[in-house]
Amino acid sequence: MRTVIPDELKIQLRYPARAVGLVGAVAMIISVFLPWSYGHGALDDVGFSGSPSPLQLVFLTLPVLVVVLLGVPLVGKAKLGRWAKTVAWNTTAKTTAIASLGAVVVAMAAIAIELGGLVNIEVGGWVAVAGAVLSAVATIFLPDSPEPTLSRVKTARWVQILAIVLVLAVVLFSAAYALGMSDAGAFLVFAAILTGLVLALRQFGVFGWLGNASANNNRVLVVSAFAVAFAFPFTQNGSNANMSIASQVLIFAATALGLNIVVGLVGLLDLGYIAFLGAGAFTAAILSESAFSTVNFHPPFIVTVLISGTVASILGLIIGAPTLRVSGDYLAIVTLAFGEIFRITMNNLDGTDGPNVTNGSDGIPGIPDLNFFGFDFAQPHVIAGIEIGRFANYYWLMLVVIALIIVVFTNMNHSRIGRGWVAIREDELAAEAMGVNTFTLKLLAFAGGAFLAGVAGSVKAHYDVSVTPDQYVFLESAFLLAAVVLGGMGTVGGVLIGATILKLLPEKLRFFSDYRLLLFGLLMILMMRFRPEGIVADERRQLEFHDEDEELADEIEEELIAHHGHLNPERKGFEL
Amino acid sequence: MNKRIYSLAGVAVLAASLALTGCGARTDAGTGGGSATKVAKIGVIAPMSGGLSAMGLGMKNSVDLAIKQANASNAIPGWKLELAAEDDQATPDVGKNAATKLASDDQVVGVVGTLNSSVAQVVTPVLAAANIVQVSPANTNPTLTKGADPATPKRPYANYFRTCTTDAVQGPFAAQYLLGAGIKKVATIHDKKAYGQGLVEAFTTAFKAGGGEVVAAETINPDDSDFSAVISKVKAAGPAAVYYGGEYPQAGPLSKQMKAAGLKVPLMGGDGIYDGKFIELGGTDGDLATSVGAPVETLDSAKAFVAAYNAGGYAEGYSAYGAYAYDAANAIIASLKTSLASAADAKSARSATVTDMAKVSFEGATGKVGFDEWGDSVSRVLTVYKVDGGKWVAEKTGELK
Amino acid sequence: MVELFFQQLINGLSLGALYALIAVGYTVVYGIVQLINFAHGEIFMIGAFGAFVTWMLLGRPTDWSVATSLLVLLPLMIIGGMVASVATAVATERFAYRPLRNAPRLAPLISAIGVSVFLQEFVRLFFGTIPFVGRIPGWPDAKSAVPFPSIPGISGQTIQLGGVLIQMPAIFTLGALAVSTVFLWYFVNRTKTGRAMVATSQDPDTARLMGINVDRVIVAAFAVGAALAAVAGVAHGLRYGNIDFRMGFLAGLKAFTAAVLGGIGNINGAVVGGLVLGLAEAMATTFIPGQFGSSAWKDVWAFVLLILVLVFRPQGLLGAKVVDRA
Repeated sequence: MRTVIPDELKIQLRYPARAVGLVGAVAMIISVFLPWSYGHGALDDVGFSGSPSPLQLVFLTLPVLVVVLLGVPLVGKAKLGRWAKTVAWNTTAKTTAIASLGAVVVAMAAIAIELGGLVNIEVGGWVAVAGAVLSAVATIFLPDSPEPTLSRVKTARWVQILAIVLVLAVVLFSAAYALGMSDAGAFLVFAAILTGLVLALRQFGVFGWLGNASANNNRVLVVSAFAVAFAFPFTQNGSNANMSIASQVLIFAATALGLNIVVGLVGLLDLGYIAFLGAGAFTAAILSESAFSTVNFHPPFIVTVLISGTVASILGLIIGAPTLRVSGDYLAIVTLAFGEIFRITMNNLDGTDGPNVTNGSDGIPGIPDLNFFGFDFAQPHVIAGIEIGRFANYYWLMLVVIALIIVVFTNMNHSRIGRGWVAIREDELAAEAMGVNTFTLKLLAFAGGAFLAGVAGSVKAHYDVSVTPDQYVFLESAFLLAAVVLGGMGTVGGVLIGATILKLLPEKLRFFSDYRLLLFGLLMILMMRFRPEGIVADERRQLEFHDEDEELADEIEEELIAHHGHLNPERKGFEL
Repeated sequence: MNKRIYSLAGVAVLAASLALTGCGARTDAGTGGGSATKVAKIGVIAPMSGGLSAMGLGMKNSVDLAIKQANASNAIPGWKLELAAEDDQATPDVGKNAATKLASDDQVVGVVGTLNSSVAQVVTPVLAAANIVQVSPANTNPTLTKGADPATPKRPYANYFRTCTTDAVQGPFAAQYLLGAGIKKVATIHDKKAYGQGLVEAFTTAFKAGGGEVVAAETINPDDSDFSAVISKVKAAGPAAVYYGGEYPQAGPLSKQMKAAGLKVPLMGGDGIYDGKFIELGGTDGDLATSVGAPVETLDSAKAFVAAYNAGGYAEGYSAYGAYAYDAANAIIASLKTSLASAADAKSARSATVTDMAKVSFEGATGKVGFDEWGDSVSRVLTVYKVDGGKWVAEKTGELK
Repeated sequence: MVELFFQQLINGLSLGALYALIAVGYTVVYGIVQLINFAHGEIFMIGAFGAFVTWMLLGRPTDWSVATSLLVLLPLMIIGGMVASVATAVATERFAYRPLRNAPRLAPLISAIGVSVFLQEFVRLFFGTIPFVGRIPGWPDAKSAVPFPSIPGISGQTIQLGGVLIQMPAIFTLGALAVSTVFLWYFVNRTKTGRAMVATSQDPDTARLMGINVDRVIVAAFAVGAALAAVAGVAHGLRYGNIDFRMGFLAGLKAFTAAVLGGIGNINGAVVGGLVLGLAEAMATTFIPGQFGSSAWKDVWAFVLLILVLVFRPQGLLGAKVVDRA
């Protein structure tokens, strides 16, 4: 963050600024032990003195971080040695201080709204505000630090692995904690604190280092990420409410990952993707043992999954074959039209306007729970003293499905087919000229993406108990697309983050639900305008969206060499 | 490599359990007050945002009113009732989360909802698994109480009840009225939704049985605004009235377009079109609707409800299903009177509440409230209303035999 | 049967005229910037609401004579609708599309979806309210359908021609299409801006070198499309008697189908495509026998037609200017 304050002034003021900043941070730390509100109904009850609420304890990390960032450099440049320049002390302190101000403001606003007026803020709240303002203003006057070079620091393998596990543990904790919150204001404060921490760590250079660490220990990262995701139900202590949300997030994420192949890798805009999920769900519902099923063929679920996927991908072929030959714009609208055709057709196959296949708008309710060789998904199981309920069972099943999709996705991405896809996305004419069979590859992506959605749909049918046409409207397709765009087209992690945000936020901010779609529309416009590559940027994508930005291009090239340079020894020292 | 991965997985699980201990909340001091009154909650699942929010909020407020009245009169000694309202946004996914949330709350003993039958289909199983009684003021889909096959009815969920009548009652009543008015040739149109289709099917059976003739049977899409194609076909068949199964957002414009296209016959529908908005959107004089119960003006309990609601200071009107929701909440409260009396805590009273529902019987805001062996309302009193001078006017009240 | 045929012919043509008026907007914009303005359906919806607001501001006249209604009220409402839709379209272009002109093609399309959702929700939430102040007394909210005012002389009036009944709103729609087409022809062929538009659509770079302000031409294209969409909005209101915030979605999708049918980028094609699509829909519900002839399938037939055209004649009936520039 650059400020308008002249550098000379900053250098002059660096000691007083540091001192004031420290005072402010200490004030914030003290405030946590004072009551923030008069009543007890605000946030997660912040009206105690000497006994901070869990949220206040989480908040504590920010001012403590400010103290560390401002305090450590006081030992002097000589003692810091190379650490003086490896990490961005001052800039991170500034980011953290501003983030804590943000979190405090959100907290005070929440208290004022929940208890009715600013008068409900107790002395601790005001101390926190004063401290936050003080340290935020003071840190703005600190000289800017140079770009951190932490990413170039070599560390032992075990340190890297430990760091990855630690980060994932924090993610697990935050997810469990955030889901457990019942108070919307507290959730917002927590989100503000978390965002602040992430921004601060990024500023500090930790992300660059972590990126290298995870690139070096890819397999460890994947395995431990799955271990953490697997462990999640154990943190819920048998509560179903959060597991229900978590499994919906996973179903949504699995579908979004399928769409990501089509949109993110091949660059085909599919606006009717929800229809493939619907096709899978309807197929599974019809083949299930539901009393409302309209056919007399009820194969085991494994077979149903394959049939659902196949039906969806056949639909993909039917819709893709004519349209993939023409321009991509047509595809967007034709898929949109196809989504409508699907929904209307499912509505019409009710016995009056067509053969009775889907029971029309009633859909197919009463789909029984899955049962794998005696393992009944409807029944809770007790593992290690913790009750694992119905939703957790589906959660684990979806985890397996997602793992499968991720394996397909990453292998494809790095295969001949995947490179062909990316070539098509970048420049279809050039790809064709280079001998890439564009039509077949596009069709493959389209049908493959549809297959994955069909598989996700078949689980969704059993999980939802009921399948109706009105679950598969255009808006759902738009949401899927938004998850891909928000997270980062062509990335796995990004799409997972995007899907989580889009499903979790509305659940936790229900009081805001009337404005949900308005904000959603605005978010899409702003994302395209300011960060089209998404939260987690695919390297190639980032270049594509910012091709006029040469600085960024150089930066990415440099990073690419830093990452992969050792793979091509003859390219070492290659000047760009 | 492999060994390390396993040990890492172990570390991760360890970290997970650490996180778990971190979740503990601090002891709840200062709140509660320690009084002897125990708390039981009645949930509401209805759309409180989006296009159907007017109806959902009306339901919520009516339940709130019933709870306040019960607390004020100390209907269940030793217990205080509370409202736990959840928005379902009229979507099954969201509705299921709402139901799961309520089911995980040990104090919830009953739920009023949902508005949409499609939401009920996912909400009911969740509540059934937790033995929580559910009373819907608005679901009209017969399968919710009688199962997939109407020929061999089988009740799918014992915890499900409803205070509104199903399509099976309204359709025949409308048929009897039209036959009585000397109309023998009718065209039917429905919107393919569960409610509309059910109405038209029940109507058609009764109308044919009474000697009438259905000269055209058409459907529209629920989100249509252009009905010219349907009207052309219906007009060609020359009916003396049109029976429409669906709700007012389509019925109003349909009536208007019918008359504009020269098909100047009355349009008749069920309680889904019995709303002032129907007339605003194009319903014209002579159009008819059936609605459950006797007219509000003739029923003391209904007048009392309307007066109490208006005195309650709610921002939204009680809307089409407010009175049914009020009755649904009172039915739950009536059942709680016996089930809570001997219960140690709210959760243990859940299954007794379900079984006691069958015995509930009282005069509610919509007429007699009680449930048959399927969980359907026993009320069979209906009223035909007619648009006259831009207003709905009661035309004929009767009981379906 | 013959009567039914002519009745459906009239129904189909007037419905098609509505599609055509909207389709012109897709085609003009696509011809110049190769962007499918996904939010164009919403511009149509806002045009209808603009006309409604004008009527409210005029004091909700219901008892004006036929002559004043047709000569004063209706033109004022159309102009009001145009002001609203053109302003929205130009603002959309400025803030959502122009910054993305050099971005990959996915970006503006996704942005357009955002605009579409945003505009719908904006109307739903804020119609009839002043932000931060509250509801305007007496104004309806747009959360459900809003009754469109009756115009004496048009609403509810019919003409009987043999066994065929023609509604005045249908005649209004066809007439509006005829007048708009003449205006559009004049604008494109006889005005400076119009000819600049043609030049830009043929070769933007050369046009720029010739001193044409391409930015202005693009704004003009959005404005022309929006103005016609507003006319369509009024026609929709008169025809169905109601407007609602969702009406742009399906109408926009159909109109896009019409534009592709006629050959996207080709203005005459949009008009022909609209009429053909309207006819196809009306005839499909009458002459396809059995269950699939039910009117519940009419949207499906329209979209199937779209897919068939893309398979067998991707350049459209009259030939598109641009077929594949992806």
